[in-house]
Amino acid sequence: MEQPSEATVEAERVWDRPLVMVPLFVLLSAVGGLFPSFSFLANVYVVAIGGTLMWLGLSGRVNRRPMPARLSRSAAWWLVPALTLALIELTMFIAGSTNDYPTLSLLADPILDMYLARAAVYFGWIAAFWGLVHR
Amino acid sequence: MITRMLAIAGFVVGGLLFVVVEWRARREESSIPTLGDLAGFVMQYQVGRVPVGRIAVLGFWWWVGWHFFAR
Repeated sequence: MEQPSEATVEAERVWDRPLVMVPLFVLLSAVGGLFPSFSFLANVYVVAIGGTLMWLGLSGRVNRRPMPARLSRSAAWWLVPALTLALIELTMFIAGSTNDYPTLSLLADPILDMYLARAAVYFGWIAAFWGLVHR
Repeated sequence: MITRMLAIAGFVVGGLLFVVVEWRARREESSIPTLGDLAGFVMQYQVGRVPVGRIAVLGFWWWVGWHFFAR
């Protein structure tokens, strides 16, 4: 894959700033909140946004932060929350993801049916995605 | 019904644990990496010239969005 030149990357930094990106994310989230789950437009929209961010993250068109070359053993602390959530989610999934044994997405559905909550969570998803693109 | 309450409590505890570890990681002199640094480290993993770690992390986050907003 062809990498952009230094001059191109420099020019692109003009739009890669919170003053530009935050209002854009708010707008994208406000629109995303309009499409209910399981609808065709919700699928198209999330695939389009995710695809664009995935492309930006893989194409090297966005500046990346320097990352640690190695991790300390203390990084294993992250296994505690990750395994806690994974264990509960897996247990509920195996139990059938029912009202009595709900998975996280089943619990989130009624909340995401409300426009403001849906738009707010959409914003968090896009902002976190943007953070990952910069890593 | 009790299992539902236990599941909700478990998810809340799991979420709070993420907050606690991130808070500990952001303290000065902490040896725990932040979640962002951990993700960034995993994203550096390559097999040959294929950025497997990057594809996996970005792809996972894309799937999370699709799962909650569209499926």
